[in-house]
Amino acid sequence: MKQSLIKPASASRSSEPVPIVEVKGLSKTYGKKSTAFKALDDINLKIFSGESVAIIGKSGSGKSTLMHLMALLDNPTSGTVKIMGVNASKLKGKKLNRLRNKYFGFVFQQFFMNPNDSVLENVLLPLKIGKVKRFSRKKLALKALDIVDLENKAKNKATNLSGGQKQRVCIARAIVNNPKVIFADEPTGNLDSGTGKKIVDLLFGLNKKRGVTLIIVTHDEDLAALCDRQVRIVDGKITSETKTRQARTLKTTAIREGRKEDR
Amino acid sequence: MKISDLILTANRNLLRNKVRTFLTILAIFVGSFTIILNTAINAGVNDFIDKQVSTIGGDGFIEVMPAAASEQIMTMMKTGEKVTEYNEKTGSMMSAVISDEDFEAMKKVDGVKKLEVFHVLSVEWMRLYGAEKKYNVNVEYFPAESMNVDLSAGRMTDDTVEDEYEIIINEDWLKPFNLGSAEEALGKTVEIGAKQTLKCYTAPNDCISIVEAKIVGVQAPGVLTMDGDLHINKALDAKLYELINEGVPEEQLSTIFAVGEVEPNKVEDVRKTFKELGSGYEIITVKDTAGMIRTFFDVILAVFNIFGVIALIAAAIGIINTLFMSVQERTREIGLDKALGMSRLKIFFSFSIEAISLGFWGSIFGMFVSMLIGYSANNILHAEGQFLSPFPTFDLVKFSPEVVVPIVLLIMFIAFVAGTAPALKAAKKDPIDALRYE
Ligand SMILES: Nc1ncnc2c1ncn2[C@@H]1O[C@H](COP(=O)(O)OP(=O)(O)O)[C@@H](O)[C@H]1O
Ligand SMILES: [Mg+2]
Repeated sequence: MKQSLIKPASASRSSEPVPIVEVKGLSKTYGKKSTAFKALDDINLKIFSGESVAIIGKSGSGKSTLMHLMALLDNPTSGTVKIMGVNASKLKGKKLNRLRNKYFGFVFQQFFMNPNDSVLENVLLPLKIGKVKRFSRKKLALKALDIVDLENKAKNKATNLSGGQKQRVCIARAIVNNPKVIFADEPTGNLDSGTGKKIVDLLFGLNKKRGVTLIIVTHDEDLAALCDRQVRIVDGKITSETKTRQARTLKTTAIREGRKEDR
Repeated sequence: MKISDLILTANRNLLRNKVRTFLTILAIFVGSFTIILNTAINAGVNDFIDKQVSTIGGDGFIEVMPAAASEQIMTMMKTGEKVTEYNEKTGSMMSAVISDEDFEAMKKVDGVKKLEVFHVLSVEWMRLYGAEKKYNVNVEYFPAESMNVDLSAGRMTDDTVEDEYEIIINEDWLKPFNLGSAEEALGKTVEIGAKQTLKCYTAPNDCISIVEAKIVGVQAPGVLTMDGDLHINKALDAKLYELINEGVPEEQLSTIFAVGEVEPNKVEDVRKTFKELGSGYEIITVKDTAGMIRTFFDVILAVFNIFGVIALIAAAIGIINTLFMSVQERTREIGLDKALGMSRLKIFFSFSIEAISLGFWGSIFGMFVSMLIGYSANNILHAEGQFLSPFPTFDLVKFSPEVVVPIVLLIMFIAFVAGTAPALKAAKKDPIDALRYE
């Protein structure tokens, strides 16, 4: 099903695989004329399937803006975003909605839960939007809650949870549709270091066991260091890119294991 | 999202802010309650008028009168003027008659099945045979076949018999005649005193002739029979007419009204033809009569409906307001829904359905309360001694799905329209703006 969502553009020239997300000459300007503010300036970036990438920078440097553009939640002022080699400007309406619904998962710093709904309702929201049948969506949501170790809280009201539990619910919501890419914007930003660790373990577990591509926006150096790659942003520009030593081996095993899981 | 999910979610969202939702529904309730109850009263009253008017006759039954008469009556009824302008062409109401020539021509008009001269019979009194007391009475003859008399006992008069005089009394006569029930009246004989107009000039003390007639039926009570005109058969009509006008030269007897039967689908053609015939004639059908009575009620009910409509307009503004607030409060939720791949159309519908649900609950609530009050009113008014007790079959308030369902649907539609602006606002929200919204 997921394969039919986007037909990958055939890899031309080199033997390099098609990046799952590719960004070229990306700029974003907020406001007009006198109030214009360039939040992103000529960003070039390739992210491959199974990678974990940290976008790191100070507050206000443009990390979230970049993430929103890569997740096709916003339109760039100039430049292109390609998903599996397909230009995002060609993805509109139904296709775009299906992509967001089935291909991406989101985790936000502020959680964004519907506080009056039950935990279960919150987790199965993407499935509800994706028109999954009532019975199977409950099953899938319980499975996702089991992964984040919150199956026993399914019936609780979302407001009654602690911060760490809330974020785990959000992770369950992000993985319930079995996405290819998870975008996490400061996932530990609102949590103390102890609970933050649990969230981090969960995210990287998904990356390693299922081959989910992880794009983490953070200002936390320790969290960034756990990723395969660190993309550093200052005032809307990429200043450096670093790779963690064991990244390559990790990535290949991740891809292999991810494929196994798909079958 | 599936429609069922959208409906469930919308209703759950409504429950989030119970007070606000309740107040909005209350406004819709007031409007729908007024309109539904009003319409039900309208239906009840119209049904009653129809039933009552049909006791005059069926769809093909017509009364014919000179245009002068009908015009004057109409003008007086419509404007309330007591002084009306003289019309050269038609002449006055009193002098207006149906000429023999025109009468014959009318009979030949296509669609006219039957036409008879209507006699205005001024009889003096009536009493039960063997009793002393005389009572004032009016009798009139219409062809029995054109009439739908609602009988509580006995049968309709027979117009084919020649020497048997028949009359139908109504229940009001049972008491003065000392009769216990309608059945008891059947077969009894009454005496009718008819004044021989000409003879009365010469012998004023000996000019009343008595005719005996048999009671063959008793008419059930109804609004239109309250004037007390009693129905008689053709033979009795002829006899009374003959007695009253005894000795009057033929050429001095004029025809003022005629009654008849036309093919129901040709009523309008006949009406047009009669208008152009001779000095012009007007026909009055049962529907016309019903229409005149109805106009009166329609005006009253229209006034109440205006209140209902004003309430609904207020309710629509309430819906708009409620939904704009709801959109504002749920900005972030909308952003999340969009980020998770919900389409604009679905977002639009999720708010639209919320509006429609408000309309639905408000009007259903209005429907139940108006039914409760309507049926209680029927029961109270039918109780012994109350205004409706003589009419057991008449309900003041009459609910039927054909009446209530369209109103509920209309209110839901109004709610939908009211909800479009907020729903559009929600649908147009940018996921990022919505997610960044604090
Ligand atoms: N809608 C907006 N309008 C104007 N400026 C914005 C808007 N969104 C973000 N910005 C600005 O763009 C810059 C980058 O924002 P953001 O991407 O949220 O930074 P980060 O996530 O790195 O903290 C900030 O200076 C912020 O004030
Ligand atoms: Mg940010």
